[in-house]
Amino acid sequence: MNVANKKYIRQLSMKSMKAARTRNLIAILAIALTALLFTSLFTVLLSINHSVQQANFRQTGGWAHGTFKYLTHEQFDEIKTDPLINQYGLRRFVGTPDGVPFNKSHVEIGYSDAMQAHWMYCNPGEGRLPAEGTNEAATDTRVLELLGIEPVLGNKFTMTFDVDGIEITETFVLSGWWKYDEAIVANHVLIPHSRAQAIFDQVGIGSGIGKDGMTGSWNMDVMLGSSLHIEQDLNEILTNYGYQNESRSLGDNYIQIGVNWGYTGSQLADNIDPITVIAIIGLLLIIVFTGYLIIYNVFQISVSNDIRFYGLLKTIGTTGRQLRRIIRQQALVLSIIGIPLGLLTGYWIGIKLTPVILSRLNGVVEDAVSASPLIFIGSALFALFTVMISCRRPGRMAARVSPIEAVRYSEGTAYNKTIRKAQSGASLPGMAWANLGRNRSKTAITVASLSLAVLLLNMTVTFTNGFDMDKYLANVVSDFIVADSSYFQTGNFWGGDRALSEEVLSSLESQSGVEAGGRVYGKSSPVEEFVTEDYYRALYGKWNDKEALDRAVTFTEKNEEGLLAERVQLYGMERYVLDKLRVLQGDLSKLHEPGGRYVAAVYSDDDYGNAKMDSHWAKLGDTVTLRYVEKYEYYDPKSGKILDPDNIPDDQPYRHRAKNYQDIDYQVAALIIIPHSLSYRYYGTDEFIMNDQRFIQDSGTSNIMYYACDVSDERTGDMEAFLYDLTNKQMPQLDYESKSTYAAEFDSFRNMFLMLGGVLSFIIGLVGVLNFLNAILTGIITRRRELAMLQSIGMTGKQLKAMLTWEGLYYALGAVAVSLLLSIAAGPLLSNVLASMFWFFTYRFTVLPILSVAPIFTVLGIVVPLTVYRVVSKRSVVERLRETE
Amino acid sequence: MTILQTRNLKKIYGAGENAVHALAGVNLQVEKGEFVAVVGTSGSGKSTLLHMLGGLDRPTNGTVTVDGKDIFSLKDEELTIFRRRKIGFVFQNYNLVPVLNVYENIVLPIQLDGNSPDAAYVESIIETLGLKSKLQNLPNNLSGGQQQRVAIARALAAKPAIILADEPTGNLDSKTSQDVLGLLKITSQKFVQTIVMITHNEEIAQLADRIVRIEDGLIVAR
Repeated sequence: MNVANKKYIRQLSMKSMKAARTRNLIAILAIALTALLFTSLFTVLLSINHSVQQANFRQTGGWAHGTFKYLTHEQFDEIKTDPLINQYGLRRFVGTPDGVPFNKSHVEIGYSDAMQAHWMYCNPGEGRLPAEGTNEAATDTRVLELLGIEPVLGNKFTMTFDVDGIEITETFVLSGWWKYDEAIVANHVLIPHSRAQAIFDQVGIGSGIGKDGMTGSWNMDVMLGSSLHIEQDLNEILTNYGYQNESRSLGDNYIQIGVNWGYTGSQLADNIDPITVIAIIGLLLIIVFTGYLIIYNVFQISVSNDIRFYGLLKTIGTTGRQLRRIIRQQALVLSIIGIPLGLLTGYWIGIKLTPVILSRLNGVVEDAVSASPLIFIGSALFALFTVMISCRRPGRMAARVSPIEAVRYSEGTAYNKTIRKAQSGASLPGMAWANLGRNRSKTAITVASLSLAVLLLNMTVTFTNGFDMDKYLANVVSDFIVADSSYFQTGNFWGGDRALSEEVLSSLESQSGVEAGGRVYGKSSPVEEFVTEDYYRALYGKWNDKEALDRAVTFTEKNEEGLLAERVQLYGMERYVLDKLRVLQGDLSKLHEPGGRYVAAVYSDDDYGNAKMDSHWAKLGDTVTLRYVEKYEYYDPKSGKILDPDNIPDDQPYRHRAKNYQDIDYQVAALIIIPHSLSYRYYGTDEFIMNDQRFIQDSGTSNIMYYACDVSDERTGDMEAFLYDLTNKQMPQLDYESKSTYAAEFDSFRNMFLMLGGVLSFIIGLVGVLNFLNAILTGIITRRRELAMLQSIGMTGKQLKAMLTWEGLYYALGAVAVSLLLSIAAGPLLSNVLASMFWFFTYRFTVLPILSVAPIFTVLGIVVPLTVYRVVSKRSVVERLRETE
Repeated sequence: MTILQTRNLKKIYGAGENAVHALAGVNLQVEKGEFVAVVGTSGSGKSTLLHMLGGLDRPTNGTVTVDGKDIFSLKDEELTIFRRRKIGFVFQNYNLVPVLNVYENIVLPIQLDGNSPDAAYVESIIETLGLKSKLQNLPNNLSGGQQQRVAIARALAAKPAIILADEPTGNLDSKTSQDVLGLLKITSQKFVQTIVMITHNEEIAQLADRIVRIEDGLIVAR
């Protein structure tokens, strides 16, 4: 039967809610704190995602969804009207300057319309884009700096650049400039369309496309309806007009497209690792649990205090379902107030935390804070979910109440003991203890809620304490390493062209305070070793199928013994660096001899420093033949015909083999592990180390890859300053690494965790304290009469306060004890998990945070009950005695 | 020997037009060992009088002397201590501490005073009131009559100068009321206790040595 009584239930719900001011306040705060925790978490997560995406856009040079490349004017006009295209922008490439001072930068001169310029971050902070029909140009501060031009509007500058193979020199008037962003690969000089067309006319391109297939062409950047299926949309657009991008050879209806991988490559879900997923789920669960503990407790206490009211309602005919609805509605109303509060403060905390984390992620812009509505929707839903599961049991309790029992119910009744064995009589601590036993679930939840915060804090400190600087720096064996900046960048390969010059070295070596130092020469000529077929197959089997492997084995050059030639990586090290190597077997003393032909074979290890003994084939005492190749020859493997190296046909397979070379035998004197900071810093082929003299003599090259040195402690600061100046001002192509940069990196990494854990513990601590306050408050308020009675039979105010203080202390110190026990119990487990997640982690047991929280909790345990009692005791004993529920 | 005396006791709640004269100048004298019943209708001021006698509330005017001591000359804290030593209360709704067992409830006032109970004395009270088998029970496991007997034992345990009973049988059926009052009377005689009992029930009042009537805050007959 469906009766239209919802309105009355709602009225009843709202009226009974008004009677519970304190509960409402605490519930709202609890809900707000829960929402706050969710919001901060989501803000941080989505901001990281957002900023990774932003960083990707900068790398790709813009945030347009996609590009139709190298169009003719007609094609451009044809395609731009497609309904799938929301917005489009035009760019016509003119040319690039490659002489000094632009030899180290990628600068492009071209025309971009306002839309396209905006999409590639060309937004003049000062001035504007160049006007049509003028000789204006806009560019960034980097280009101006290279030109030596002050960023002042109206300044003239002249550039010489290559337009489709023809050198052009033009003078422009600065109409606007924007700040250089080092994350963006290309620097742009934007000129008006009229000027671009004039240049095209001048070099003979006119309205066509240059010989390079690029200059003068029309490029269209587009924004589509959605970033989810960019490639599909672009292809659909092409098909609409009879174009394709399958192959140029299919006909001249081929149009090249570009998809901005910034959109596809930055989906959080795609590149997230399982540990992060577990951590995020763990955090979500902790927050739900924290919220549950307090919101449940607040409603549970409130329902048990109002149980007579619910009993009365039931007596007069309210059904259990309706009682549940009353409670649910109250929870909803409180959520409507609490959740927005939490969303706002949580977002604020989130945007404050985000930069701390982002600064730890390499190459990510730090100002990218997400304001995605997902943050708020997600947080609100999670908070609501927490509220709803929290008020389910209290709702059931209200629904289950028997009208008869409810009238007789008081807090003590839930207490199912009927006998108490004590014969010695009651003491104040004993009474306080017994009072906590009245509502066990309330006591347990309050203690759990307080413990959770302490436990988290302790875990955070244990975790960050365990970050072992010694382990972290174990691979950083030199105080300073100086090299070309590319050496330090991931994704760069050493080829010998970026060697350190002798002048730089002599100035480095002559720095005061340098106690010891050494050069390392990197390989810059082809060198081969000879390996067995099995080894070769094991090496390449990971990436190739059987067929490809067979073919490779067949055609790879072999020596007389039938061993296969394989590229090899060499180091020529001065003694200082040799001594920094970790010797697994043998010793390095033979390598110290300038004349001997000895090498050390480089083995690799895992993060924990365990050597992988299968990572190299060479064993101690083995003879290694290295082939220094002066010249290769190319041949057709089928016919055996020698091919002209300058004119190798694309379409047929060819092979190469050493033509002029020198084979030298070495003996393996040691098996070693090279610290990562002293290595090539990328994985390549098998590596051998020899001393510097041997390397120079045998390879005939002497390109210095890096210089490493140790500096006396008191001179470290000077050296740091010298290198900073050298690498930033005098020779910006150089860079350096110091032990202190690693140490600083380590510290900031640790501080990030400390701060995140600290903030989390603090907020959860607030929740715990709120729960505690509520427990004490309701405990005192519902016992007003009982306390008055105790006073009437002779308990002094002092004794009463002492009893209440004992209760508070039991809660607070109970929480300390519980977290202490749990920490001790969970310690070994935690240590194993963390040590396996972070190689630089050393478990160090600590309960110091718990012990330092203990005094704070003691004070809380005393102050909270006393303050609450002070408020309650304003009314006289008689008034309180007379009070009826 | 006079154990309790009030002089011109006045209590006014509120002020001005809303002023309620709960007590309008009560003069009452109780001798040691006497069992006095104060009878009055609801709102007559009898409960207010009892609160004043027990030092739970301070009068607007007048004095209360218990065992030769003007109790309102004492500070709150001192008054509480005086109360637990000299005055035992028995309430209509028993007011036992739910988390303490029967024995603990009985000796609570003594222990609050920092003393150990006089074991033989407490033993004989317990025996007289028939609570021997219930000592370890918690209050919620007792009947109303049993709870009230515990309350009486508690009131007696500290050997007070005077016992104040506020409608001690108000929540009990008539048979149990008779039992409880009988016990109250017997024990007071046995342990030479003075009792002032408030009731609106004339029949119950008849058990007392003396009946005092109160109407509109004034004693009307002795």
